[in-house]
Amino acid sequence: MGIADRGDWVGEGFRIEDVVAELGDGPVYVDKQLVVTRTFAPVGLRFAGEIDMTNSHAVVRSLTTAFPTTGDPHLDLAALIFCDISGIRALVDAAEGLGAERHLLLHGLPHQIEKVIRVTGWSDLPSLVLCSCEVAQR
Amino acid sequence: MSMSHDVDKFRHEAMLYSGWPDFIAGTVPFIREGLQAGEPVLVVESPDKIDILRVALDHDADHVLFANMAEVGANPALIIPAWRDFVELHGAAGKRLRGIGEPIWKGRTADELVECQRHESLLNVAFGNGQPWWLLCPYDVNALDESVIEEARRSHEFVSQGGTARQSEAYRGIEASGGPFDRPLPEPGSAIREMSFGPEDLISVRQLVVRVATDSGLGVARTGDLVTAVNEIATNSLIHGGGKGTIRVWRDITKLTCEVRDAGRYDRPLADRERPQPRLSEPRGLWLANQFCDLLQIRTFPDGTVVRAHMRRDPNHNLHVLPDAKPTAD
Repeated sequence: MGIADRGDWVGEGFRIEDVVAELGDGPVYVDKQLVVTRTFAPVGLRFAGEIDMTNSHAVVRSLTTAFPTTGDPHLDLAALIFCDISGIRALVDAAEGLGAERHLLLHGLPHQIEKVIRVTGWSDLPSLVLCSCEVAQR
Repeated sequence: MSMSHDVDKFRHEAMLYSGWPDFIAGTVPFIREGLQAGEPVLVVESPDKIDILRVALDHDADHVLFANMAEVGANPALIIPAWRDFVELHGAAGKRLRGIGEPIWKGRTADELVECQRHESLLNVAFGNGQPWWLLCPYDVNALDESVIEEARRSHEFVSQGGTARQSEAYRGIEASGGPFDRPLPEPGSAIREMSFGPEDLISVRQLVVRVATDSGLGVARTGDLVTAVNEIATNSLIHGGGKGTIRVWRDITKLTCEVRDAGRYDRPLADRERPQPRLSEPRGLWLANQFCDLLQIRTFPDGTVVRAHMRRDPNHNLHVLPDAKPTAD
């Protein structure tokens, strides 16, 4: 998909050219059970596969290096088959690390992972927003 | 009964009763005295006992908190967190409280009974050095084996019967209550799937659990729950148990069992039942496992730790919970 196809302005005030220039294009992380790619409309990351203790460090790294410095990043988790507590912890830490007034928006959260987030009480954190909507191509 | 006993610390008391009148005679004055002293009271009992207590207490029942033990304590490891919530929510500034909890009834399976007995001991560890409150644990002497009553004398500092409370000479004390739990687990009688795992094999562990759970008719949601539980237990082996472990999976008519064995030592007796603070990165694997399986059994032996997660195959056909909760006739 070319930059022109994505529209000039996406998400909450991100300019695609700026995002690509700053962060680069292409997969952010790949291993035998997980692929992390960027999304541009909205701006964020897409996780497909399984997260456990063997690759949650990569999730932490993807989350800390691939986000723009302003606005609310989106995560597309619809293709996430499994995520253990260390992976969820990575999401929580990333959300908490965004700073005041910023949020990490989780889309397409599979039911089991949402259940774990609720049981741990992390769903109450204001920085983590569980979106029931499908990932919007805005 | 010495109801006016001054509670200046946690008082864990087994109340041995025989039939409905004895149950009422032991519990209703205990509740009323607490209410009169302005103490919050929580009763965790079977629905039929709650009904009879409501009748016996009349208007006083409006001031008592009730909870269904079949729900709260289906997995006995979830009872201590429930009492913890009660003490923290209603016992601010060291306010005294009272509770009644009957975790052991005749219909408990052998596995559940052992875990309930461990739970009774761990209550001493969880609350023994904390604020003063009084927990009364009714034991139905007509329905329960003598060995169960004997264990109640070891897990409770006080035992009351027929209106008289005494210090239990058999009480094992707080420290021994939290000692390593090494009671042997029965070997499975059915075919076992077994595999060793290291850090790279977690995904295979999950696939094994999904396969057997699906074959056993567990359903998508409960299969997901079991996978979540077992993955955390196996992760514990990789982090705390020597970096590897062995999983065995088997089933019988009523349940599916996943067992994880490793070379680690499990030395935090409450780790699977103290709710972690959301903002702290405390270990929470075994606590989480308890939230997602029907029963968790943890044993520590000199050569390692064994954790078993049990799932009933048909959640609607609940063999264990309160089929037989009424006290037997005298």
